[in-house]
Amino acid sequence: MGLSIVEKPTPSGEAELVAACVAGDQAAQRALFRREYARVHATVYRILGPSRDQDDLVQETFIAAFRGLARFRGESRLSTWIDRIAVRVVFEHIRARGKTPVPLGIVDDEDAGLSVGVEVDAQAHARDGLRRLYAALGELVPEQRLAFALYSIDGRSIADVARLTNVSAVTAKLRIWRARRELMKHAAGDPVLKELVS
Amino acid sequence: MKRITVDPPPPTDTRRDRVERQLFTELQRMRVAERADAAIPPARVRGWLVAAAFASAAAFAVALFAHSTDVQIAEREVASQITTPIGGTSQFTVGDAVMVAGGDTSVEVKHGDDGGITLVLARGSVDCDVAPRNGRPPFHVIAGEIAVEVVGTRFTVTRTPAARVDVTRGKVRVTAPGGSWLVGAGESWSPPTESKATPAATSDPIAIAPSPVSPAAAPAVIAPAPAPVATIHRVSQQTAFLAAGRLEATDPARAAKQFRTIANGHDAWAPPALYSLVELHASSDRDAALADCAEYLTRFSHEAQVEDVTWLRVEILRAAGRRDEARSAAADYLRQFAHGSYAGLAERIATPP
Repeated sequence: MGLSIVEKPTPSGEAELVAACVAGDQAAQRALFRREYARVHATVYRILGPSRDQDDLVQETFIAAFRGLARFRGESRLSTWIDRIAVRVVFEHIRARGKTPVPLGIVDDEDAGLSVGVEVDAQAHARDGLRRLYAALGELVPEQRLAFALYSIDGRSIADVARLTNVSAVTAKLRIWRARRELMKHAAGDPVLKELVS
Repeated sequence: MKRITVDPPPPTDTRRDRVERQLFTELQRMRVAERADAAIPPARVRGWLVAAAFASAAAFAVALFAHSTDVQIAEREVASQITTPIGGTSQFTVGDAVMVAGGDTSVEVKHGDDGGITLVLARGSVDCDVAPRNGRPPFHVIAGEIAVEVVGTRFTVTRTPAARVDVTRGKVRVTAPGGSWLVGAGESWSPPTESKATPAATSDPIAIAPSPVSPAAAPAVIAPAPAPVATIHRVSQQTAFLAAGRLEATDPARAAKQFRTIANGHDAWAPPALYSLVELHASSDRDAALADCAEYLTRFSHEAQVEDVTWLRVEILRAAGRRDEARSAAADYLRQFAHGSYAGLAERIATPP
C-alpha cells in the first residue's frame, strides 16, 4: 500500500489565516510569516538603515505579532497592525541604544541598500550618502528619527506616520519638520548629505 | 518635503529561512516555557471571537473580575490591586515594567512619593520584567518578611506561603530577616532555614514598609550579608534554559555547556536545549553540530523541531563542503517532508548537477 499524503490547505483569507495562527497551526503561521516578511524587512531597514540587528528586530516583530495575534480584531489591515508592531520594536531598539550614530564605514557593503545596475561610481556615492544619512539620523531624538524615516524614507503619509507612532497628525508633522531641521544643520558642512536631504 | 529613496536589498531565501527558523524556534521555546508554567490558563481561547459573542456578559464579568482569565496576552493599565483566580494569570504594566501575576495571586501596586514602585505580594507569584534602575525610580517587591530590590532584571517572586525568588536575568537584592543577598541570573533564593519555621502567610504583608523603601532609607537591612544559611540554590530547568539562551551571545562555550546539561535530562526542556545546541554548534563546530542533529533525531523524533533539525543537517553539510552527503541529506529531508518549508531548496540540492 502506497503512502498517501494529504496536504492541509493553507488558509487564504486574512481572517481564516489569523484564526488558524491563533489556534496554533504552524503551517498557517509560516504562511503568514512568508507573506509579511519582505515588507517588515524593508520597513525595519528603512527606519534603521543597514544594521546587524536587522534580522533580530524582524524576528522580534513577528514574535510579538504571533504572541498578540489573538488581540487582533480586524479593525485595520493585518499588515498595518504588524507594521505598527515593527515600528514599536524598532523604536524601542533605537531608544535603548540611545544616540549612538552609526560610525561611517562599519556597515557591510553587501547590505548597503543599493540597486543593481547602477554605475560603480554612482553606487559608491549613493552608499556614502546612505551612511552619512543614517549616521546623522542616529543623532536625532528617537521620536523624530522614527517619524522622519517613516515619512521621508519609507514613503508613508503623514496620517500613516501618525497612526503608526500613535500620535496626532500635527505632532507627526512637527517631528518630521524638526528632524529635517536637525538634518539640515548636519548637512550644512556635508555636501553629500545635503544632496540627499535638501 | 523631499522623499529619500532607499532601496532595501531584497532579502535572500537563505536569509529569510534563517529568520524563519530562529523565529519558530523561539516561539517553540516560549510554548515550552508556558507549558512548564503551572499557572497557565487551560485554553488558548480566541479572545476576540468570544468577546464578540458574549460582549455584554463579558463587560459585567470584566468589571467584576477585572484581573482574571484570558489575560495571558492582555496588557492592562496599572491597578492598585491585582487578584487572579486559580489557574488564571494577569499581565499588567507599571511604567516600563511588565509583570505577570500567576494563578491564585493577590498583589498590590503602590507608588511612592519618590516615583518608586512597590509590589506587595500577599499570596501567589509575580513574574517581573524590569529595566535596569540606573537613574530610574526604585522598584521593590515585598513578600511578607522578604523585600526584593531590583537592580535591573527579570525575576519571579513566589509566596505560597514561603517566599521564593527566581532570577532569570540581571540581579536583585533580597533582604530578609537574617541579612541580605544578591541573587544573580540563573539563581534562586528561598528563606534561610530558621525563617522557614515562621509561617509567612500569617505575617502582615506590609510589615516591611513599602515604597518609598530605598537602600538609603533602610541601610540596616542592606548591610553586608551574614554567613548565609545556604538558600541560593540550583534553579529550575526552565530558568536554566532561559539563562543559557541569554549567554549565547556573550559566552557561547558556557551556553553550550548549560544547554548540554539540560539536553541530557528527560523533561520538556531537553528537546529545545538540544536544538539550541545544534544551532550554537552549527557556526562553530560542525562535527559537533552534526552529532547533535543525529542525537536529536534519534531521541526526539516526535518533537516539533524535527523538520528544522533535518534541514539544518543539510545546511551544515553544505557549509562543510560535503556535497554528496548534503545531497543525500536533502533527499532524506524530502522523503520525510515532501511538502515541508524547505522542500523547494531541498529539491534543488538533491538533484544531481
